[in-house]
Amino acid sequence: MSQQSSDPTIYDGLMFVSLGAVIVGIVFLILALDGYGWSAG
Amino acid sequence: MNNIVSKILIVANLVFSLCFMCFAGAVFTFQAGWRDKANKTQTQLASANDAVKQLQGDKDLLTTNFTKNLEDQKARANNFEAKVNGLDQNLKQAIGNLANAEKERDKHLVDLQVAQKEAQARITETNIARDEIKRLRDQNNEAITVRRGLEDKSLGLEGEIAEAETREVQFLKEITHLNDLLRFNKIDPRDPIIGPVPKIIELVKGEVVESRKNASRSAEHVQISVGSDDGVFKNLKMTVYRDSNFLATIQITDVYPDKAVGLVIEETRNGTIERGDNVTTKF
Repeated sequence: MSQQSSDPTIYDGLMFVSLGAVIVGIVFLILALDGYGWSAG
Repeated sequence: MNNIVSKILIVANLVFSLCFMCFAGAVFTFQAGWRDKANKTQTQLASANDAVKQLQGDKDLLTTNFTKNLEDQKARANNFEAKVNGLDQNLKQAIGNLANAEKERDKHLVDLQVAQKEAQARITETNIARDEIKRLRDQNNEAITVRRGLEDKSLGLEGEIAEAETREVQFLKEITHLNDLLRFNKIDPRDPIIGPVPKIIELVKGEVVESRKNASRSAEHVQISVGSDDGVFKNLKMTVYRDSNFLATIQITDVYPDKAVGLVIEETRNGTIERGDNVTTKF
């Protein structure tokens, strides 16, 4: 199988940025949910 | 083509990821305030619930009190209604009593008027009786006065009777003495008396009231202050004197109970007869 090497493009960076943004958002929500004591009611 | 779509999806993924991050950050940023607000709201809600419960308790208490008061007021209303009914009956009875009392009053007023008229008649009768009593009392006083006068007169008459009895005894003695004297002189006392018997001349003293001569001055009449009540009688000769001087002798011609008139039959020159001269039967 031939390994086709390609240079990372801007879109790859954008993907990582998106991943980071999602992680940060998840962390924010986890912290927020921790503020409520993990209680839904 | 796939490359373009991949790119577009990557950009869209990026945009949505950023939006998700922003919304999550915003939630993390404002959730404390929201929690505080929620807690505050929860606290207010609890307070409100407590207040509601308190008010509910107060409401129940007030309701209970109001119910109890309402029942009490109903009971009082019933009592008052009963009292009002009783008072109404009493009022009706009192009105009836008042009507009866008014009838009694009218009857008593009529009786009072009759009694007043009767009392007025009694007063009139009493006044008449009082006048009659006064008149009878005056008559009684007059009768007492008359009785006293009669008693005095009776006493006087008794004295006169006693004196008359004494004189009668004395006269009987004199008669006995005279009969003895007549028998001693041999005269029968039963012999009839022939001729006039001279009257006994008693001592009478009076005064000349008036002396008047007739028109021809031939006769003088003298009025004296003694009459038949004093023992003066017609044809009695009396002596007129002043002090110790003999003035005249008169003969009585007219005799009245308290006075007498005499005619001068013998006159001296010792003076004229005047009012106030003395006259006597025995000078």
